[in-house]
Amino acid sequence: MGFRVLLPLLAACLLFPLLLRNTIATEIWIFAILALAFNLLLGYTGLLSFGQATFSGIACYVAGLLLKHYGLSLPVVMVAGVLAGALSAGVVGAFCIQRVGLYFIMLTFAFNQMAYFIAYQWTDLTGGEDGLPGVPRPPGLEGGLAFYAFTAGCFLITVAFMKRITDSPFGLVLQAIRENEGRAAAVGYDVKRYKWLAFTIAGAVSGLGGVLYAMLFGIVPLAAVHWLRSGDIVFMTLIGGSGSLYGPIIGAAVYTVLAESVSRYWDRWPILLGLAFVVVVLFFRGGCVEAWERIATAGWRRRRSP
Amino acid sequence: MAQAPLALMATLLEAEGLTKTFGALRAVAGVDLAVEAGSLHSVIGPNGAGKTTLFNLITGELPPTAGRITLDGHDITGRAPHAMPGLGIARSFQRNNLFPNLTVAQNVWTAAFARARHGLRLWRSAVGFADVAAAVAEALGEVGLASHGGRKAREMSHGDQRLLEVAIALASRPRLLLLDEPTSGLSPEETRRMMGLIRTLRGRYTILLIEHKMDLVMTVSDRITVMHFGSVLAEGPPTAIQGNADVRRAYLGTATALPTGP
Amino acid sequence: MNLSLVLGQVLNGVVTGMLYALMGVGLSLILGILNLPNFAHGTLYALGAYLLFATATWAGSFWLALLVAPLGVALLGAVIELGGMRRLYAAGHDYQLLLTFGLALILEQVIILIWGPIGMSLLPPRGLGGAVDLGVTFYPRYRLFAMLAAGLLILATWLFLEKTRLGAIIRAGIEDKDMVAVLGVNVSRVFTLTFALGAWLAGVAGALMVPIRGLTPTMGADILGIAFVVVALGGLGNLPGAMLAGIIIGLAQSLVALVWPVASIVVIFAVMAVVLLLRPQGLFGTR
Repeated sequence: MGFRVLLPLLAACLLFPLLLRNTIATEIWIFAILALAFNLLLGYTGLLSFGQATFSGIACYVAGLLLKHYGLSLPVVMVAGVLAGALSAGVVGAFCIQRVGLYFIMLTFAFNQMAYFIAYQWTDLTGGEDGLPGVPRPPGLEGGLAFYAFTAGCFLITVAFMKRITDSPFGLVLQAIRENEGRAAAVGYDVKRYKWLAFTIAGAVSGLGGVLYAMLFGIVPLAAVHWLRSGDIVFMTLIGGSGSLYGPIIGAAVYTVLAESVSRYWDRWPILLGLAFVVVVLFFRGGCVEAWERIATAGWRRRRSP
Repeated sequence: MAQAPLALMATLLEAEGLTKTFGALRAVAGVDLAVEAGSLHSVIGPNGAGKTTLFNLITGELPPTAGRITLDGHDITGRAPHAMPGLGIARSFQRNNLFPNLTVAQNVWTAAFARARHGLRLWRSAVGFADVAAAVAEALGEVGLASHGGRKAREMSHGDQRLLEVAIALASRPRLLLLDEPTSGLSPEETRRMMGLIRTLRGRYTILLIEHKMDLVMTVSDRITVMHFGSVLAEGPPTAIQGNADVRRAYLGTATALPTGP
Repeated sequence: MNLSLVLGQVLNGVVTGMLYALMGVGLSLILGILNLPNFAHGTLYALGAYLLFATATWAGSFWLALLVAPLGVALLGAVIELGGMRRLYAAGHDYQLLLTFGLALILEQVIILIWGPIGMSLLPPRGLGGAVDLGVTFYPRYRLFAMLAAGLLILATWLFLEKTRLGAIIRAGIEDKDMVAVLGVNVSRVFTLTFALGAWLAGVAGALMVPIRGLTPTMGADILGIAFVVVALGGLGNLPGAMLAGIIIGLAQSLVALVWPVASIVVIFAVMAVVLLLRPQGLFGTR
């Protein structure tokens, strides 16, 4: 991973606990993982999946149940969560990939609804509306700072992983599919297979985020699998900018800090979220990254002219 | 050029009774086609004659209503488009069908990487495959775009984009090259450049060329199939087509002589 | 399992199915003309319900409210299209979709701000209260009315699309927008009209549903997924398809509720998954 990117991220990882509460700082990296997973689909493959909470949510429940009822060790729970994310995405993806464009989006949303209603009704397993409380942290991670460090580490590994994937031939083929599905097929790629793989990988990474989320708050809330959570992930990626690997990270940070600070003062704060959404969509489609680039190139041009 | 008897020449691509109907519209009606290996076979006809539909049937973009397509004797009717490069068939499109935000080199890379059959590669960096990079350089050099590799496809001029269209097809290292109106939208100078390129490709590839400007194909084709309203109107070497009264009538409405080429 | 119970559930399924179909028809029109999965469609439905409640309690007349509420929603729809969607045509349907999502968030919170987070209910109007003796069972009169009303509205929409000039333009637009523009039709006006019509249909579905299911702020979010399923099953712009898909889903839901109540909502999505696996273009779709 290039130093120009690694250093700021490392610096952020080290500084955040000094600037923010541990839980908020941890939450930022968790959402960054979820947003990175989603952007593999949107930014790279051109797939607007409106149901990523399905996979992070399922992994969240799996991790919560394994920790609470079986007290399994950390590595087992992590693997189980990532597998849960990958498997659920693989199954759902097999259906959704059959359609393109708007139908694909609607299908991802519909499956999210399905997962939500199952979680809502299956109270014996999930606790329904009340969620699944009493999820213990594995030994060694009980402390706020210790868990933060662990999560930050997982985040950095995720960034490195995503960078490898997107720089690989697979990543370039995904971008070709985004640019022109028909031509990608004509030059020899089984487009459906590639889309399904991207979907499954994104599901696996979302699963990682889900496991960490369960351990962070010690509870698996029903909201973890709600379509609004999917919308949050979309929003984060948008405000950060879907055109680069790192935009979603910025978006996750901006979103989490804003959401945490505003929600303390106003129960109806989702209105502001909706408003911000509308504003970004109407005026700042490239997100923070594009805004920054515009400012940066404008400054460079001014310096160049005599 | 003396014509060897047909029986001695290897037929690479053959279409028998190829038909495509859309409801009441017969876009392609019972077309027979035989393309000899190593030859340049042109399909000409006025707009709407069914030429591009014929290509779409061959490459699997559309399933035929009836008929058969064989490549080297193997039935390839209805195979999916993404199977074509593996079979040795690559095509360029009538309207630019590029990857707009990828660079010129990346556009060609997609075809070259698929052809190199490295399979699914998620770990090594895309630039680390030397054989693919070499294939990209070769294809770009062939069409004269070697110095444009780093530019985004959508920033190129229309003429250069048409060349890129062909480069992508070449990067698949096909046996059979399907070119759909490569000169579409080109200036006379650019048209000359494109036809020059096609002349250098002739003999090294089996080429099936669609054009609707008859003068372009007269000097470059070994055989010509003339299509009209979905059917084959005439088929034969350029001299035979030139002298064909039906073709004259279809193209010009009269029986006067047809253009002989630049 | 007695006959009266089963018949009651079958009728319930048809009633909710027709209202699901209304939602599907509106969404399908917006999807077909504007190429937009309207994520605010559920909230417009909820708004129709809340506006009905507000007007009915204020004016004392259910019938006036049934007239006024959907019109209010349609007006809002027109405003949304003119003020928001229009700016995003060039940006692509992903961004339009996200705009509707943002609006859905805002509207749902506005509903809670005005009417509070607790669910409410409203009795059917005089004349439609009580039950009808169907021989085998008694069935609520209002529900029969709602079923008929929804059916008539779908029929009216179908007639509008098939028999009027404006309807033909909309149908042509679903087939090929560019061609319609070339023929000299003011495409943007058609867009606004279609969105308003879709919003109106959502509003009327919400309004009709009030005496049956009551009101909660999340009713919009809950029904959005079902509306998507209706469209996915019924096919784009296909009104008879939407109606049949709606009834099938409604029946599946109510009949499953007889034997396995907790699965009754989930079964809707399970049906969708199975159908799409066997027939990717939906039950009645051609694309």
